[in-house]
Amino acid sequence: MNKPLLHPLTWWIWAGLLAIAIVRFESTVLTVLCVGAVAGLVFWLREDAPWGRSFAWTLKLSLWILFIRTAIGTLIGVPIPGNTVLNLPIVQLPSWMPGIRIGGAVTSERLTSAISEGILICAIILIFGAAASLTSPHRLLRTLPVYVYEFGVSVVIATSALPQLVTSVTRIRQAQMLRGQSLRGFKSWKRIAIPLLEESLARSLELAAAMDSRGYGISPKRSRYRPIQWGYLDSLVIVSAIAVVGLS
Amino acid sequence: MIKFSNVSLIYPNSTTTVLEDLNLEIDEGEMVLVIGPTGSGKSSLLRLINGLVPHHTGGILAGDVSVDGISTQFVKPGGMSHLIGIVGQNPIHGFVTDTVEEELAFGMENLNLSNDVMRKRVEEVLDLLSLAPLRNRTIATLSGGEQQRVAIGSALVTHPKVLVLDEPTSALDPIAAEEVLSILQRLVHDLSLTVVIAEHKLERVIQFADRIVYINGHGETKIGTPEQIMVDSPIAPPIVLLARALGLQEIGTTVREMRRMTQDLRDKNYQNSPTEPVAHESAPIKIDSLSVTYPGREAVKNFSTSIYNNEIVALMGRNGSGKSSLLKAIAGIAQEYKGTVDVLGVNPQSLKGKARRECIGYIPQEPSDLLYGQSVAMECKQADTDNEVKQGTTMALLEQLVPGISGHTHPRDLSEGQRLGLALSVVLSSNPEVLILDEPTRGLDYQAKRELVSILVSFAQSYDKCVVLATHDVELVADLATRVIFIADGEKVADGNTIDVLLSSPAFAPQVAKVMSPHPWLRVSDVTAAIELS
Repeated sequence: MNKPLLHPLTWWIWAGLLAIAIVRFESTVLTVLCVGAVAGLVFWLREDAPWGRSFAWTLKLSLWILFIRTAIGTLIGVPIPGNTVLNLPIVQLPSWMPGIRIGGAVTSERLTSAISEGILICAIILIFGAAASLTSPHRLLRTLPVYVYEFGVSVVIATSALPQLVTSVTRIRQAQMLRGQSLRGFKSWKRIAIPLLEESLARSLELAAAMDSRGYGISPKRSRYRPIQWGYLDSLVIVSAIAVVGLS
Repeated sequence: MIKFSNVSLIYPNSTTTVLEDLNLEIDEGEMVLVIGPTGSGKSSLLRLINGLVPHHTGGILAGDVSVDGISTQFVKPGGMSHLIGIVGQNPIHGFVTDTVEEELAFGMENLNLSNDVMRKRVEEVLDLLSLAPLRNRTIATLSGGEQQRVAIGSALVTHPKVLVLDEPTSALDPIAAEEVLSILQRLVHDLSLTVVIAEHKLERVIQFADRIVYINGHGETKIGTPEQIMVDSPIAPPIVLLARALGLQEIGTTVREMRRMTQDLRDKNYQNSPTEPVAHESAPIKIDSLSVTYPGREAVKNFSTSIYNNEIVALMGRNGSGKSSLLKAIAGIAQEYKGTVDVLGVNPQSLKGKARRECIGYIPQEPSDLLYGQSVAMECKQADTDNEVKQGTTMALLEQLVPGISGHTHPRDLSEGQRLGLALSVVLSSNPEVLILDEPTRGLDYQAKRELVSILVSFAQSYDKCVVLATHDVELVADLATRVIFIADGEKVADGNTIDVLLSSPAFAPQVAKVMSPHPWLRVSDVTAAIELS
């Protein structure tokens, strides 16, 4: 199937609007439904390119965030009265930290509020992750005006480094596995992170040098070989997102 | 066109000067080759031309570099983009857009050229580099040779007067490399383009060069014609080593010249020492009807072979022909495959931890993937503990492979060859039965290659183990391999003794064989041995 080529800003505007809608919904069910729809859209539309895979990684990341957010939300904070689900021992804190409690009774109210807040955060991360995986970072850069040149360089590098990171992680994990390293626990992350950071840094510098030597940003005006046009599909996507905001 | 006057360069926190008082003038339409050991500053010299050094990298520059009268002191690299096209070592790292057409247009868009000029020039370059069928392809899906051509094309569209290339053929198979180089030569002749190239694989480029700049890494440089430099250069392609070994009066740099000079030698009759067939006892690697598939593509098709003890097997073939996939299947990291792979009686996918280390040693394309320590010493210590060997074993091994590396050095600061040496000693410290290397010679100079050859030969022969490597480097294969498997499009095309396979295809024949044809000699040592015998 020939996938429609949209304006690179479309999905980012769309993501921003959806994020507004989700915050206004104040409903976990609608938020989850919305994220589900977004995920479906991503798997339908994404290209087979490095950035296309970044959604799966945002998914993993947001599950971690949800887990940590829920754990912290239930363990630390102001107690909410209600049905007690389980009782944890209270950690004694020094007297100069009044009002904060670690442990204690976990009520179902507290649990639900922690989870729904976590879901909200994750939903917003996921929606922007979807925008990132649907738009080529390179095309995005080309829509930026030249006077934000320094900014443009950093955006290109950041956005092309992230998907690059995903491919590099896979490669380095494979190599380390072959060295017979068990890749579990926190320690293994150090083993991946060091070659990874090193490589991304070197690559970013190389890309910046390449852009510079090809004259990026030297002329105050840039011409366009294939002007990026705003089509009716782009309007359609944005209108649908505005409609969702209107409904909320 | 390019003028270096009294140029000295030193990087901060470094004790050695990269260049010292270099004076060099490169004329229009000249093709200059920059050679030197790894880490000697070839890339720095190239990047001085458009001012990336020192504008981008820091470093202290004395003297002046100017191109077409414009000094890099006052103009940033961007301001030179209409004058100089530069292609980096890994073109894929320098691509800014996604498709071939957009990439070609990028440089012109920056110069704010009008749309119809851009259209015309893009078409021109597409034709010039025969990229027209690829115009709408995503760059990430192109093969290495195609990517290299796109990178050269995108440097050429702005109609520069100077083209600078850093190891343009190091990642390419011999045929793709020849293609790229012949395009460059045509540009020099047709458009009088000035070209500056750095390259390790001299056998590929030396015949095109007008002059050579030799950098020794301690600031000294030597400039001269290829014949002058090659008389005593420690870095020399096999063809020059052959001329030296035969005691010829002149040094030839092309096969044609050398064939003329060795006419009498070749006309004599020689008795070749018969190679006795080696009896193989056991086959540590058995592959039976293996197919590796990726989404939408079959990388390896119905491949069967056995690899025996004592063998050094070289996998050769075009970029993207399935060599790496095959190696990954043997190492047990291919995701999905059909058929059976059997290493020492077990499925390599099931191997873990210590058992894996003792069974298979694997050096990936980027040896640094294996390294994560903060220093060479830490890396070696970790390997010792992992393999439960005496402390210092790995370090001793490294000292033997690549002498003179300080234990305090960070692996990142090592040269390409030293890093490969470190990864090799880490892998070899567990004494694996099978050693697998994926393109080990990228970025290695002749000296490092010779060391690699002696390590691998002694590993295979003295310990009776087997080595499998994928490579594009014909000369390395001639020096090292006992058997060659040639793969095209995932299928086995040829499989046999190195001498038979290499001599059957002119494109893959090493230089010595081309000069000495029809005599079946691959290496300089083969020639001298045969002459002594008769």
